[in-house]
Amino acid sequence: MRKRTKQTRMPLGVVGLIVVFLVSFGILLRGATAQEKKVPSKDEKLKVGFVYVGPRDDYGYNYAHDQGRLCMEKKLGWVETLHAENIPESADVERVMEQMIRQGAKLIFPTSYGYLDPAINVAKRHNDVIFMHAGGFKTAPNLGTYWAYIYNAMYLSGIAAGKLTKTNKLGFVAAHPIPQVLGNINALTLGARSVNPKVETHVVFTGGWYNPGKEAEAANSLVDLGVDVLTQHQDSPIAVVQTAEKRGVYAVGYHSKDLQKFAPKGWLTGASWNWCNLYADLAKEVKDGKWKGGHRRGGLETGYFELAPFGAAVPNDVRDMVMKKRKEILDGKYVVFQGPVKDNKGTLRVKAGEKPTFERIEQMDWFVEGVVGTVPK
Amino acid sequence: MFLFLQGVLTGAVRSETSVLYATLGETLGERAGITNLGMEGCMLMGACLGFVTMAHTDNLALSMMAAALAGGLSSLIHAFLVVTRRANQLASGLALMFFGLGVTGFIGRPYVGMKIRGLNELPIPYLSEIPFVGPILFTHDVLTYLTYLLTPLLWVFLFYTRWGLAVRAVGENRTVAYASGLRPSLIQYLAVFFGGMLAGLGGAHLSIAYTHMWVEGMTAGRGFIAVALVIFSMWHPLRGMLGTLLFGGAIAFQLQLQARGSRISPYILDMTPYLLTLAVLLLWGRTRKHAMPEGLKAVFEGVD
Amino acid sequence: MEARMRAITRVGTGQPARLIRLMGMVSFAFLAVGIFLWAFGKNPVRAYGEIFQGALGSTYGLTELLVKMTPFILCASATALPARIGLINVGAEGQLHTGALIATWGALTFGDLPRGILLPFLVILGFAGGAIWGSFSGALRTMVGLNETISTLLLNYVAVLLVEHYVHGPWKDPASFNWPFTAEFTEAARLPTFGSSRVHFGLVFALTAVVVLYLVLRKTRWGYEMRVIGDNAEAARRAGIPIGRYIVLTMFIGGGLAGLAGMAEVSAIQGRLRPGISTGFGYTGFLVSWLASHHPIGIVIMAFLLGVLALGGDMIQINLGLPYSTVNIIMALIFFIVLGSGQLKKMGA
Repeated sequence: MRKRTKQTRMPLGVVGLIVVFLVSFGILLRGATAQEKKVPSKDEKLKVGFVYVGPRDDYGYNYAHDQGRLCMEKKLGWVETLHAENIPESADVERVMEQMIRQGAKLIFPTSYGYLDPAINVAKRHNDVIFMHAGGFKTAPNLGTYWAYIYNAMYLSGIAAGKLTKTNKLGFVAAHPIPQVLGNINALTLGARSVNPKVETHVVFTGGWYNPGKEAEAANSLVDLGVDVLTQHQDSPIAVVQTAEKRGVYAVGYHSKDLQKFAPKGWLTGASWNWCNLYADLAKEVKDGKWKGGHRRGGLETGYFELAPFGAAVPNDVRDMVMKKRKEILDGKYVVFQGPVKDNKGTLRVKAGEKPTFERIEQMDWFVEGVVGTVPK
Repeated sequence: MFLFLQGVLTGAVRSETSVLYATLGETLGERAGITNLGMEGCMLMGACLGFVTMAHTDNLALSMMAAALAGGLSSLIHAFLVVTRRANQLASGLALMFFGLGVTGFIGRPYVGMKIRGLNELPIPYLSEIPFVGPILFTHDVLTYLTYLLTPLLWVFLFYTRWGLAVRAVGENRTVAYASGLRPSLIQYLAVFFGGMLAGLGGAHLSIAYTHMWVEGMTAGRGFIAVALVIFSMWHPLRGMLGTLLFGGAIAFQLQLQARGSRISPYILDMTPYLLTLAVLLLWGRTRKHAMPEGLKAVFEGVD
Repeated sequence: MEARMRAITRVGTGQPARLIRLMGMVSFAFLAVGIFLWAFGKNPVRAYGEIFQGALGSTYGLTELLVKMTPFILCASATALPARIGLINVGAEGQLHTGALIATWGALTFGDLPRGILLPFLVILGFAGGAIWGSFSGALRTMVGLNETISTLLLNYVAVLLVEHYVHGPWKDPASFNWPFTAEFTEAARLPTFGSSRVHFGLVFALTAVVVLYLVLRKTRWGYEMRVIGDNAEAARRAGIPIGRYIVLTMFIGGGLAGLAGMAEVSAIQGRLRPGISTGFGYTGFLVSWLASHHPIGIVIMAFLLGVLALGGDMIQINLGLPYSTVNIIMALIFFIVLGSGQLKKMGA
């Protein structure tokens, strides 16, 4: 169908020219930048690199890590940070870490779960650089992992949700069915059912960490179903929280307490990270040569996460109830996921009196009783 | 069941407004013989600049205008390249997508995570109380209501006005159109420009009305889906609306199923809109070719 | 083709005026972005410095550039071959994913086979995975007349979701804490890399594909017949060229090439299947192919250019705090200028 003009000129020449042009341009500039870098800094600062999977202003997962970075930088004068955002969990992330090391980074935080294998690969090549991966399950001599039992705060939020729901339906907009997400869904449900056994949590997976349009639609679908408390585990909680506010239902936050401003009316409470102290501790350890590696985990007592402030919608008796449970958890009198816990198919998953280890919780692939949904198999 | 169906249909209307705008815009452009694969870029421009304007001025009308202009002006680059410079339409469109992605990622960076007033749902009194139909059609925002007007308007414009005839004539054959006294280039420029404006509005619906937020790449492929739906709809605005409803309905359907505890993997459920569109196309496969504007055949139908 | 080659030399040597004008235009693209950056308070000279240093300033950068170029070239070839007879294959992204999927199936099922048998087998599986996905669209085109632009585009989403389904479901590795990864491939299933770099055997596939494509299109009867179809399908039909067979065949081989890219990505880079193996390689490949007018050598050069910019995007982010999108703007402007300069004057539109 298409007609070719007789003299179709190839772009090869053009493109070749551009390339030659680019290369010469690059070489020219290379000299300039290379010199710039050789200037030795007087006081040797520890360079710390952060790699984020999404934008650092998402008021979600990446925002939490970035707040930790900024706070650490402020707290420790001798730290200098590098960061890269929107880095996909593909072949690219290895290169980004390598480039950070080339810039002098001695401690790197690959903060997304999919960065684990690439980080281990890079760690193998650079013995002098320390890596701390968020949430990983594998370690290397110079790669450790860190995480916190944030599901505790989801459990506490669940209490408030369970008390305030009128339809007895909670809605959870989840990204992917991975253990950390399932753990939060389960903890929220357990918390809600501890005060209101009629509660059911409806779960929708969006199949992505960051797709506001789809998250909003998932949230709307849940509200159409009669859900009157919405929460989520997405990298970007803004869409779901705002949809909740728009539709006039309650919102439980996740990742950041600063989300409250997006739902002034419907905000209940939520789970919020606070990585500042951990990051500062780790930087100190690395600087003093005392870093030991392994899995670093923290509960409510560490302050690595916290229960977000209550919203105006939460009455005082509910607040007291939540705070009482919080104290019980702090005192070790109650452990979230302590037995007996049944899954939503009726199988006993945790025996009565048993307190599951963090490895078991971090491998969770089932829903507790009261969750409407199936974990894909 | 009743509630389920209502939920699916409401969701279909609500979520696909942005795609419908882009579909209408692309229909207009393609009727004039210009494919714009860069609808994704135009939508992003609209989403971003609409949001930015809203953040600064808090003025809805102004934001809509900014969004439409952003979409329209960026698509003019495409028009210049393919109409005046006779560049390849697909390559130019894709370059426009990268342009939109880049410019909005850059300009919009400081606005990620910002809070705006946004456009809220505005149930129409009385009408929204009609059982079943009311919630489905009349519980949305102004931009969605606008599509109820725009879609038939575009249809009337294209098929029952002199100007529409001119657009289609140019899309069928530039030379003949020129010979009959039309100015093909001008018409194509205008079609692409207004098409881009519509896409910009679609983007603004996503950022200002639907999610109240802006983030880089938030259109997540909606622009591409719009291009596919135009072929699906055989370059017809009304069928285009049907197509977006079908597509949006499939998405809403799978979300409703999930929320009700379906045992099927969400990833398999997620395939529904794409597979359904394909299935419908297969059923109507043969007729499509004749509906295509002649001028587009050079782009789409290398082999015949 | 001969005319094309002559054209290259003409542009290269015979027309200094055009050459200067082009240089001027490209400089203009850089200047425009430079002003843009400067307007936002960024130093454009440093930004460009970082971009070029990222890819061209060190051996490491150069090896990473080759890693980045490999899927670009394969996916661009997947677009270019069908494009020779006028087909628009937007589906390299999906074909890449199905290639990775089928190859992973092989690696997980036959991981114990000796390397010498397993690896070639995986290569065949990867190719087949993409080829089947591609030829499906081709078959729909010949049999039902379904436009391949739309079918390949829609099937992309389906293929990505298929991968997600398998890694989140049946193939989830219990040893990986129920994360969405398959088990790690055995050593025998890993495609070799060169030296200590990440440059892998996929590059050899890519370059071979380019050379073979070039020779087939130029030297063989197939190439001739494809050119005839591309020039005038009606004439081709009258001359008795089996158009339908060519449609399926080019989509089969094109899809297979994209499948190889997917296979190489899981087998050489990741060592297991997981979501997000591709960051839009298929779409970038599509652009590369169209910008190179589907010319094999042009594809390599375009892939090089895009690779440099992609690598540079990370550098300006880490070192200057500029968003990655800056390179998307630069890229788009260069494309606009190349397209607008009329050098790519398209057949048809």
